[in-house]
Parts: sequence; C-alpha cells; structure tokens
Amino acid sequence: MTRGGAATVLVCVGAIIGRLVQSGGFGWFVQQRMRIPLALAALIILAFGLYLLLVHPGDDTDHDGHDHDGHDHDGHDDHDHGRVPKVGWLMALPILVLISVAPTALGASAADRLEAITPLETTERFPPLSSDEPTEMGVYDFIERAVWDDERTLEGAEVRLVGLVVNDDEIDDGFRLTRFLVSCCAADGLPVQVVVHGLAEELPNDTWVDIVVTWRPPEVPYGESEGTDDIEADIVELQILDEPPADPYESPY
Amino acid sequence: MSSIDAAPEAPPTVRPSREWAQLAFAVAMALAFLLRGRTALFENPALRDWSTLFVSVCVQALPFLVLGVTISGLIGAFVSPELVERFVPKRPVLAVPSAGLAGFALPGCECGSVPIAGRLVAAGTPPAAALTFLLAAPAINPVVLVSTAVAFPGDRQLVVARFLASFLTAITIGAWWARRQGGSLLDIVKDDHSHEQSRLNTFVEVATRDLLHAGGYLVVGALAAATLQLVVPRSVLNTVADDELLSILMFAGLAVLLSICSEADAFVAAGLPQFSLTSRLVFLVVGPVIDLKLVAMHAGVFGRRFAMVFAPLTLGVAVVSAVVIGRILL
Repeated sequence: MTRGGAATVLVCVGAIIGRLVQSGGFGWFVQQRMRIPLALAALIILAFGLYLLLVHPGDDTDHDGHDHDGHDHDGHDDHDHGRVPKVGWLMALPILVLISVAPTALGASAADRLEAITPLETTERFPPLSSDEPTEMGVYDFIERAVWDDERTLEGAEVRLVGLVVNDDEIDDGFRLTRFLVSCCAADGLPVQVVVHGLAEELPNDTWVDIVVTWRPPEVPYGESEGTDDIEADIVELQILDEPPADPYESPY
Repeated sequence: MSSIDAAPEAPPTVRPSREWAQLAFAVAMALAFLLRGRTALFENPALRDWSTLFVSVCVQALPFLVLGVTISGLIGAFVSPELVERFVPKRPVLAVPSAGLAGFALPGCECGSVPIAGRLVAAGTPPAAALTFLLAAPAINPVVLVSTAVAFPGDRQLVVARFLASFLTAITIGAWWARRQGGSLLDIVKDDHSHEQSRLNTFVEVATRDLLHAGGYLVVGALAAATLQLVVPRSVLNTVADDELLSILMFAGLAVLLSICSEADAFVAAGLPQFSLTSRLVFLVVGPVIDLKLVAMHAGVFGRRFAMVFAPLTLGVAVVSAVVIGRILL
C-alpha cells in the first residue's frame, strides 16, 4: 500500500465513521456509551489520513543511496514511506458495506433466526407499580417481573413498552413485541419478546410501536406448561412510531 | 520499527499494481454509492443481518484499535530500544518475569510487539526475555484487558483468567527458552531503519501502519464471525457449542486462522455467545501469541527456522494454560 493509498482509506474510514456518530446511526451497531470513543477515533483516523495525504517528508532521495540492512532483497525493499501491508485495503470493506447495503439495526429477520431469551432467576425485590398511569418499562424488565416476581406486582397494572413488530403465523390477533438485548455490540444481540394480543389488523414486520399493555398471567406457571412459555399481554393502546428510538437496543447492564 | 513489517511483499518491479489498487478502490466506492438502495440484493434480509453483524464488530473494535496504535506510534517515536533495554535485567532468571511485566506496561497489539521484541534482541536483551515480552505485551496490556472487560461486562472473572493464562503462557515459553539456551535458533535480527525523520512523522507512520495492518486483519476476523453466525446452521453451532472439547479445538483453530488483533478479539469472541467461556478463553489466549499473521511476522523478523519451532510450541502451551486456568476460574 502506498502512502497515498493508506491516506485515502484512512480519510474515508474517518469521515464515514464520523458521519455515523453524528447521525446517531452508530447506535444500530454498538451501545450509546461508545459515542465519544468513536467520535475521537474517527477524528484521529481522519487526522492521520490527512497528515499522510498532505505532508511528504523530503526523503525521497534517500531510497537508492541508502543500503538499510544489507538484505535488500528479502522482502524489505518496499520503499514506500509507510510500508503498509496490503491487508490494510480490507479496512475499506466495512465502509463499502455501510455505504452500499446501508445496514440498520437488528430486526424481524434476526429475531426469527435467534432464540428469544428469558431472564435468569433473580432475587431482586420489585417496587410496586403506579395504578394511575402506565409505567414505562423495558421489555426485558417486563418479562423479568412476569416470570420472577413472587408478589405479582405486574398483575392488573398498565405498562408502556416500546419495541418492534415481529409477526408469527400462529398468533392471529397480535404479534411478538420484540426488543434486542445487546451487551457489547449488535453481534451478540439476542431477542426478548412479549406476545401481545388484541389487534384486528396486521402490522408489517419491523414497525416500531409504543404500546400500553396489561400482563396476561399464565394459566399454568411458566416452565410447567406443555406448550410454549410465551409471556403474553393484552394491548390497551397502540401507537405506531415513525422513527425507531435513539437506542434501538436494551442493555442488560 | 518500520522495516520489520514482515509479511513478504511483492518485489518493487510491480510498482504499477499499486495504482491499480487505488483505482479499484475508487471504482468500488463509486459503485457502492450508486448501488445504494437500488438493487433488490441489498434488501435481502440475510445479507442485511450479515452486514449489521459484520459492521458492528468492526465499529466496536475501532476505538480500541486507534488507542493501541496511538500508543505504539508514541513508542516508535519516543522510546529507543536502548531505553527499553536499560530496564530489562541481563540474567534470564530475572529477565523473564520482568519482561513479562514490561509487557503489561507497554500497551500495543501483537503487530507492534514483534518489531519491539526484535529490537530488544538486537540491543542485547537475552532472547528468552524478549520472547516473553513478545508473548506477554499483546495479551495482558491494559488496553486489551479493558476491551475484554467491555466485551464481557457480565463476566469480569474472564478478564482475570485472560491475564493469568496469557502470563503463564509467556513465562512458560520464556523459561523453556532460557533453559535450553535456544538463542542459537534465532537468526540475526534486522536493525531498524531509523531515518533522520521528525518524531511527528515517525509517530504518524508507525501508528497508521499498525492501524491498517491490524485493522485489515480485524476485518478478516469480523467477516468470519458474522459469516459463522449466519451461514453455519444454528444446529451445527449448537452441537459444537455443546461439546466442550470440540469448542476448544474450534476456537484454537479459529484464533490461528483469523489472526485478529488482540485489542479487538474479545469483541469477536463476545459475538459468539453460545460457546462456553473456557473455549472462548482459549481463543483470547491463543490469538495474541500465535496466528497465521504472526507466523509470517516471526519468520520475517527472527527467521524461518525459529518460526517453525516457536509456532507449535506456543500454540500447545497457550491452549493448555487457557484450559487449566479456565477450569479453575470460570
């Protein structure tokens, strides 16, 4: 890779990552806490690239008159200033994918591919829920209460959840409200799902919704039924969101 | 440091091909912009999922990579081999453990530590100590440990296990080398090409070369991790994941094949959550000390004969250390 090639790749990487931070799109791939580290990384890469592009130390004449180590034919005679290995070109690949495929956050297809998870047993005590207005809650927290709360604080309470629609042929009056739980980056994302009922028409997959639900306690305790262990709820109110939330994922930590 | 960049490259007679690479890059960028949102292929859900996974591993690792190469650039510009050597005792019995600890204090990824180790030997450090440094520096430095903690927020003991298993590997190899006076295996180590350059220029050149080098191999690793997740059927992955021995062998093999930078490998391992922590620890301990990229670099810096002995030895010791520590801690 020449100095010019290295500079081109670095400027492109820095600019596209910077743009991804600025637009908020980085949240599709990593957690919100990576915003500042990523912004700094983008700036540094951009600065490196611009330096290589603009500053050429005048040692060009150095090349032929300087026998560096007496082994001038053993693979070290690539007299570029940077001597960057060719594998560096691969750094452009994620940028090309970002531009062409323009991937976004994990959605229905990933939810179909992955097995939904259930929160591990917890000894946490759950505070009681307000009875005046719907309590906002993460999908994971909702499921955790539904499964592990001995005091059944969820019973009868209205809860506001935000998630995306994943349709299931076996559910004819609703869908699987889905959110992904991401501990590091989207590559480790696993879906958490609540089956919600009480919807006449079908919404398209991957629609973001803000819904108020009430928990439908299971007829047989979770884990003891013959069929699925879906956490179920009834829709009280449903609002379609035009834009996904700033952070499409929930974090377990 | 800039000379010992190892992987044999094409002779200078193919100079025009470099311009082809740049042209190909420009065409690819233009095509990417033109095709965006215009072809049904890019609406394919599997391809979109694959892209999300691939890009997310790369993006997550990027800040750590940049931090690492910034430090390696600073070392390249401001720390002379003589300075480092002054802090390493001459006697192997003392030199080996202290070189291991020096690895902790000098952050960098494996691509950066190969040339540093080469310089140490050239400057008169006992080879066993330089090798200990070579194995310890990329595996147990603070940047790597922090990125491991970030990648596995729920499994703090994995960070401790990684530190211990990697340190054990480094010390074992170093002690073995000191005992059999294996210095004779080392070919002459090439000197650095310190041009009369400004420190700023040395800094940027070392940092960008390490960035592109490590970044390129990171992309290979991210490609493999995303593809494994999507192409290999869940049932196969789960079958391997359910068998501890198979998982360990698979991750040892992956670590060698993928050649991911140690500052980024934890994110790849975190992206394969169905596997046991011990098998992923094997990946994290083997990767920084031996992989295809490193074999190429070792052969370039220390000679082919050395690389042929060092590679299988290190692989074996690293796998055993990881499994033993994993059994105790995880």
